[in-house]
Amino acid sequence: MTRLVDDPESKFEVSLISRIADGDESAFAALYQRLSSSLYGLAYRMMNDAKEAEDVLQEGFRYIWRRAGSYDPTRSTPFAWAVMIVRNKAIDRLRIRRRGERLRERVEQSVGLERDESTGEEPALRERSAIVRSALEQIPREQREALELAFFGGLTHEEIANRLTTPLGTIKARIRRGLLKLREFLQEEI
Amino acid sequence: MIDEQTQDLVLQYLLGELDASQMESVRAQIESDAELRNFAIEMEETLGSLAYAPKPVAAPPDIPQRILRAEGRSVQPTPKTSRSKIVALNFLPWALAACLAIACVILGLDRERARDVFSKELASLRATNAETTQTLAHLQQKSTELEKQLAALKENDAEALTELAALKQKAARDEQAVAALTQKDADSQKELAALKQKNLLSEVRIATLKAQVARFQQTNAVVVWDTDQRNGVLQLDKLPPPAPGKDYQLWVIDPSKPLPVSAGVLSVPSVGLIRTSFHPTQPVQSAAAFAISVEKSGGSMKPEGQIIFIGK
Repeated sequence: MTRLVDDPESKFEVSLISRIADGDESAFAALYQRLSSSLYGLAYRMMNDAKEAEDVLQEGFRYIWRRAGSYDPTRSTPFAWAVMIVRNKAIDRLRIRRRGERLRERVEQSVGLERDESTGEEPALRERSAIVRSALEQIPREQREALELAFFGGLTHEEIANRLTTPLGTIKARIRRGLLKLREFLQEEI
Repeated sequence: MIDEQTQDLVLQYLLGELDASQMESVRAQIESDAELRNFAIEMEETLGSLAYAPKPVAAPPDIPQRILRAEGRSVQPTPKTSRSKIVALNFLPWALAACLAIACVILGLDRERARDVFSKELASLRATNAETTQTLAHLQQKSTELEKQLAALKENDAEALTELAALKQKAARDEQAVAALTQKDADSQKELAALKQKNLLSEVRIATLKAQVARFQQTNAVVVWDTDQRNGVLQLDKLPPPAPGKDYQLWVIDPSKPLPVSAGVLSVPSVGLIRTSFHPTQPVQSAAAFAISVEKSGGSMKPEGQIIFIGK
């Protein structure tokens, strides 16, 4: 994996965030243009509802507009930063509304936006998505399942342990090992 | 080497599972440990990559405008700056420099001069770039320092709040203790007062003297005797004046003595209420009874006249 903001794309996004911190609206629009389709895909995957995903995306980008000055390029890439913001907004909603497991399960069965191939996604983005999906496929199923429940489902380790009727320690180990393997695969690929 | 437990804690931190105080604690740990910090960064990157897994979805294009409008800003047209075009943008200064060089050639400048202009432009761009990099590094360093200061302040604040809470609790406990002691003291005072009153009453004896002669039937005679102080008060109502050459004399009858002890001659100026204190002329151990007799004027050493009142 490329270290933080060493690649040109991330560098450019850092400069956009810096300009956003100074109130540059065009930089804000540009960053949205670059990140929104991935982040919207993430929000939709988590919320399983187009309107709610839109709200989450809007809340996430509002946070980015207001808090761009707090971004630290030594801590994370702009993309990872934005992902965590949008994910946190989605989790807030998921937890507030106390959505049950059935709703999350429906994510996989859903049709519509997620399957829309006509999003005009860039080749680079398509390639990156393919790499991540491939890397996910390479990690053991149980680890992938725990990881997806934690990341997309917004479930805590304890909630996952209860849901899968598996000891908490095992769930922790699955998530940890899954992420370490994923990092390994991504470092090789990207 | 980071142990697995710490790794799990960092992952829970990144996944937003911890409460505010735990988050702050892990954040401080990460800030103070370079290895842990690198681990956290790599894990956040890996987690961030997961966002590429769902298929991208075309987001509503007007969200930035909505946000900016809500923030009271004017709306700019959205530029098209997709990730694939960044390479072209990065070469923009170089392209400008090349154009400048070509322009020089076209204008008939010699090759050396064109190179010189190009070199100067290049040097200028490099200098600007170096300056920007330096400024950025400086700002990043400053930001890191400020975050550290903020973390330290938050920690101090948390400690101070904890201490304050402990002091408040102690103060509340002390107040309760003081209130309990005050109540206890009040109870003790009441008890003491009751005991004193009881004690006082136990030291006072009241004796009603009965008339032994019909003439004095209308007279009320009461003695209040203090057994502790060994003195008393005599109250007489409607006592007729003594006959000429006579006086009334009060006696205290003490079983330990062979004769009644004189408590003095009564002064009766007229008929009415008399209240007079008296002291026996000799020490009295126990006042078993009191008597009044009619004695010669000025009184006697022992009762010689008629006993007109007696009582216990």
